[in-house]
Amino acid sequence: MNIVVLLAIAAGLIALRFLKPNSLAWSSATWVAVYVFLRYGVVPPVPASVLTMFMFIITLSLAVYLTTTEDRLKEVSNAFVSFFTDKKYTIPLVVALIGLPFIVAFRVYQNLTQLPDPPVVGRTIHPPPPATITFKGRQVDLVDEDNPYRELETSDPTAFAEHVSNGRLVYYQNCVKCHGDNMVGDGLFARGFNPIPANFQDPTTIAMLQESYLFWRIAKGAPGLPVESTPWSSAMPAWETFLSEEDIWDVILFMYDFTDQRPRAKEVHE
Amino acid sequence: MRILACMMALVIPVFSVAAQNVDLGTDEQREAGRVVYEAKCAHCHGSDGVPRPTVASVFRPAPRNFTTGTFKFRTTASGELPTDEDIRNSIRNGMPYTAMPPWPSLSNADVTNLMYHIKTFSSDFSGPFGEVTALEMPSPPSMTDESIARGREVYETNQCSDCHGNRGLGDGPSAPTLEDRWGYPIRAADMTKRWTFRGGGTREDIYQTFTTGLDGSPMPSFEISPTEDQWALVDYVYSLSRDEPNYATMVTAHATTRTMDLSQESFADIEPAYFPVVGQIIEPGRAFFPGVNGVDVRAVYNDEHISIMLQWHDMAAETSGSNAPDLIAPGALDADSDSTLVFSDAVAIQFPTVLSAGTEMPYFIFGDRKLSTDIWFADLAGSGARHYVGKGASNMSEEGPELDVSASFQEGEWTVIFRRARNEEAHIAFEEGTFVPIAFSIWDGFSRERGNKRGLTSWAYLYMDVAVKESPVLPMMAYGFATLLLGLVVTFVTRKKVHGARASSDDKRGEEA
Ligand code: HEC
Ligand code: HEC
Ligand code: HEC
Repeated sequence: MNIVVLLAIAAGLIALRFLKPNSLAWSSATWVAVYVFLRYGVVPPVPASVLTMFMFIITLSLAVYLTTTEDRLKEVSNAFVSFFTDKKYTIPLVVALIGLPFIVAFRVYQNLTQLPDPPVVGRTIHPPPPATITFKGRQVDLVDEDNPYRELETSDPTAFAEHVSNGRLVYYQNCVKCHGDNMVGDGLFARGFNPIPANFQDPTTIAMLQESYLFWRIAKGAPGLPVESTPWSSAMPAWETFLSEEDIWDVILFMYDFTDQRPRAKEVHE
Repeated sequence: MRILACMMALVIPVFSVAAQNVDLGTDEQREAGRVVYEAKCAHCHGSDGVPRPTVASVFRPAPRNFTTGTFKFRTTASGELPTDEDIRNSIRNGMPYTAMPPWPSLSNADVTNLMYHIKTFSSDFSGPFGEVTALEMPSPPSMTDESIARGREVYETNQCSDCHGNRGLGDGPSAPTLEDRWGYPIRAADMTKRWTFRGGGTREDIYQTFTTGLDGSPMPSFEISPTEDQWALVDYVYSLSRDEPNYATMVTAHATTRTMDLSQESFADIEPAYFPVVGQIIEPGRAFFPGVNGVDVRAVYNDEHISIMLQWHDMAAETSGSNAPDLIAPGALDADSDSTLVFSDAVAIQFPTVLSAGTEMPYFIFGDRKLSTDIWFADLAGSGARHYVGKGASNMSEEGPELDVSASFQEGEWTVIFRRARNEEAHIAFEEGTFVPIAFSIWDGFSRERGNKRGLTSWAYLYMDVAVKESPVLPMMAYGFATLLLGLVVTFVTRKKVHGARASSDDKRGEEA
């Protein structure tokens, strides 16, 4: 998200509020604000096809908003009528009548000469995990099993610290090139991958996942993903080929420790 | 050594007066710095300032060893310690394209405390050498075509090309022999990729880099006079590179009616798409520091053939030995078993063997069991092109349609052109107006890359541009006039309605009266 753009939009809308605009002006301003935000305020940029879809929905809802009450409808139609008939609007009207065709022609030109955008494939970032996986021949029950070293946090802090410290080693030897030093997904190789490596500081990743879910993602990597998560394009390695079970649980401990987050608790079963 | 120590003993008392001015921070500051260091830096730089071998082995350049008091990025003269501000800047800005990250999230106080802690690792900081002053930088004159041309001469007379190469691609005659002070091989910077400069890519930064040198690396400091020549050299180096890498996600194959003869002429006037190449660290045989970091791609097609040209920078062409995409590479942390084997440079383009009807694609590392990839492979030792079908990195077979290839190496740059018939049964077809997934792999023989040990890209798209483009003039006019007409109609209808309404209300009023 681009904070500068966001602030500029907010400032613009607040300034407009002071001018006491009518519903039509206010709705148009909202439309422009949403467009500017989606177009320039989001990193990485929203694909053009998605943008068109969003703007279509926004246009529709604003139209509904403007036509729901009689007063608002009147306000809008009066504004239109006076633009087309009032003497004081003659010059803007002529400018609009002549200018619009040129804008349209220019858009047509752009559309016909621009290269089309590559197809975007949506992907589910957090698909439901399988109930069990096989890790080097052992069945791991993802529903009931939990990080076996998590309890050391209270029962034996020294041993816990050792596991975290091993996790740190594992992370910096294996994960840092993609997920980055600050765990925001901007490692040295991140620029080469699409989708980009996960950002663990983001509250919507590991903070809302269970440790067993992470175990599955780390052990099985991209090849373990279902089709809706585009396993063919994700660079996340299947770490079962490189790491032991303990290493994986340790690196999970380290990821929470480093980002100051807590894993989502397991639901209690009867 | 002993003599030096004796001399020091004589000299130190004299200097220790001056050394009192050295700012080493307070105990609290150093302790606070240590705490942050343990949490954020120790895993790379080591708790005692010596990087741990297990971690250092996956990074090139390796994390700095702070006990030697050697620093690359300084505003001070060669061989001197950096200023406090230099260290702070290094921490805050990091070093792009190395493992050393920028730390924008740390507070100013944290950065200062870290700086004091780093100074505890080398006794030089508290000794007579601790007191340093930054070199002054004369203000830069403006950059002109003449200064750039003059800079080229300065570049030659100072033998920058000895390491950096004639065109600055990092391919000078000495380049393959370079090692840093800690015994690791190191590459001379590629001047055409200014965004990878760790000391920064502005003109002032480049000035500082060659006047102070990068201590610990073979990059020397240069004393060049007069000052105009220093800035001319800066301007020349600056002019070699664009500002941003502009990484692409799509390359367009342009339609042509010419025949395709595997020469560079077929690609004249076509802008390349530049793709980032990163190490394959997903399957065993990982390449933590690949030799190549980007590839320029151009494509053209005619009725019969499609041709794709790849270009990348390499400090030397390895054309002896051999290479293949399915050779077994040693683990990143294992010793390379047979050092008598020699590996040549090699390159591959990858496509899905067939486009599936849905969105599904083969795995980007040489396919998977369900969906395979076509791999156009060229061993640049001169054995021509080979076509592989990949069903996973460890499940590849040499089969498929005929491929032609030409390859040449010139002044630090490989140019490889592949050609295939556009339509081949049971293999990827290149139809006009379609998007075809494409990916690249590059093996640097010098770094002993082979098989899985290589640089790669993820899936990108090759767009088969349409051959005959509709002229936009007619549709433009049609839509323009339609809009004008619509506007006029709306205006007249509205006006008429309103006048009508006014007239009738006037009538009514008249009747009432
Ligand atoms: C080659 C690059 C690469 C390396 C190395 C890598 N990852 Fe990933 N990782 C990714 C990418 C790309 C994603 C996002 C796509 C996906 O979910 O598969 C990801 C996703 C993840 C996720 C899922 C996060 C979520 O919100 O669902 C976890 C957990 C994870 N990585 C942990 C690790 C750990 C632990 C390591 C080191 C042992 C590691 N990764 C090494 C590329 C990498
Ligand atoms: C992922 C590994 C990694 C981490 C974490 C890391 N560094 Fe570095 N650091 C490096 C590497 C690699 C270099 C050498 C870069 C080069 O030689 O171009 C380096 C170089 C440096 C330098 C030397 C600059 C010079 O002029 O030579 C300083 C100072 C430094 N790091 C400080 C820190 C501090 C402070 C932290 C913690 C906040 C830190 N580093 C965290 C990898 C790391
Ligand atoms: C003996 C070989 C050698 C010579 C001669 C040499 N360089 Fe370098 N240069 C290097 C190496 C090696 C590096 C990379 C250092 C590193 O990675 O730490 C480098 C890096 C650089 C960089 C990039 C630094 C950065 O910020 O990352 C610039 C700019 C540069 N050299 C300019 C010059 C100029 C200008 C000259 C001639 C006046 C020159 N070099 C001569 C070996 C050399």
